[in-house]
Amino acid sequence: MKDSLRVNPERARFQALCEALRPDLLRFAFWLSRDRAVAEDVVQETMLRAWKAQDSLLEQSAAKPWFLTIIRREYARTFERKRFVTVDVEELVAKEEPMLAAADDQELTEMRAALFKLPDDYREPLVLQVLMGYTTAEIAAELGLSTAAVLTRLFRARKQLRALCGEDTSMDPEDS
Amino acid sequence: MNCAEYRRLLLTEPGDTPVAMRTHVASCHECTQYTSRISRFEGRLQKALKVDVHGAPRGRVVSLQAERLRRRGKKSPLQTRGAAIAASVLLAVVGVGLLWLAAPGRSLAAAVVNHMAGEPDAWARTDLAVAEPKLEEVMSASGAHLLAGAGLVSYAHSCEFRGHLVPHLVVQTAAGPVTVMLLVHESVRRDVHFAEHGYSGVIVPLHGHGSLAVLERTPDAEPKAINAVAAQVVGALDWTT
Repeated sequence: MKDSLRVNPERARFQALCEALRPDLLRFAFWLSRDRAVAEDVVQETMLRAWKAQDSLLEQSAAKPWFLTIIRREYARTFERKRFVTVDVEELVAKEEPMLAAADDQELTEMRAALFKLPDDYREPLVLQVLMGYTTAEIAAELGLSTAAVLTRLFRARKQLRALCGEDTSMDPEDS
Repeated sequence: MNCAEYRRLLLTEPGDTPVAMRTHVASCHECTQYTSRISRFEGRLQKALKVDVHGAPRGRVVSLQAERLRRRGKKSPLQTRGAAIAASVLLAVVGVGLLWLAAPGRSLAAAVVNHMAGEPDAWARTDLAVAEPKLEEVMSASGAHLLAGAGLVSYAHSCEFRGHLVPHLVVQTAAGPVTVMLLVHESVRRDVHFAEHGYSGVIVPLHGHGSLAVLERTPDAEPKAINAVAAQVVGALDWTT
């Protein structure tokens, strides 16, 4: 076999890992940035950085949190470079309509639009919990918060989200 | 456990139902109904978060890089539109520029927040103080010493900010780490409170020495508390120039 056609096993292993994790990483980056193009760029840069730093990944089972931490840092860098300004959420929703639309399920589309309207500080822990399966302690460690602060944000996130979705909130507990 | 406690836990960690919660709901008809509602809501939430990403460019890192370059290489719609639109954009830019000039405090706050977002590692909660010579080196570049009254400084670094090297400190307080930037080249006329992108804080004038920015990584810092930290640091500044 020619050298150029040989498969580097290390590269193939890393490639397979990226392939397996990429959908969830892209979803996480999308909900973080609320912008598909930014999410793709962030995940792309994350994978390049991860490739360069792969020696620091000691166990494959730790790959997901490892990638997520890199994504959050990379997004912060993107934020710094692009100097995002405050944007109209309705414009964001309209811009990302193809990503938010759920065929034949208006409730789902509305839920996604409501998620866009949640403050970043509430949306991120919620996404980490529901989409990425993080425990409260893991979210606290990732975001550099106390577990009490994470619990408060998760509670407020769901309360606001339910109100934004037009749910009956008469039985919801008060925010203390 | 009462109903309010049960429902609060359900809205916080719906996937976790310890014995106390199960015991309560077994004997409470209203909370049983509420649990059903939340369960349906959670199902929709999970589905909503799983947006379809299969249309995204897939494959190897290298091919993703190529895709990104290809996408960036495309002309944006603005580049292909006519002079009328360009003129509108120009007018808008001028308008925004005038607003920017009219509100220097706000634009400075935005720049401070942007700077913070790029330094997520500086926010560690610790009781280790930065080495005294390092703190001295960082502060002396701005013509100041920081006296012990400022509190425990765990991080000190000279950061580039709007074309100048400025001291970027982290002071540990009872409420957690608070970031302080000494901005001798930036002036504000009065206290500017801000809350942007998950950060909140204040920029206070240092008459004759620019200004001082103090911010916390929380969207709703108590203004009184943040003012107290600012006053504590301002009181500990000893100017050499």
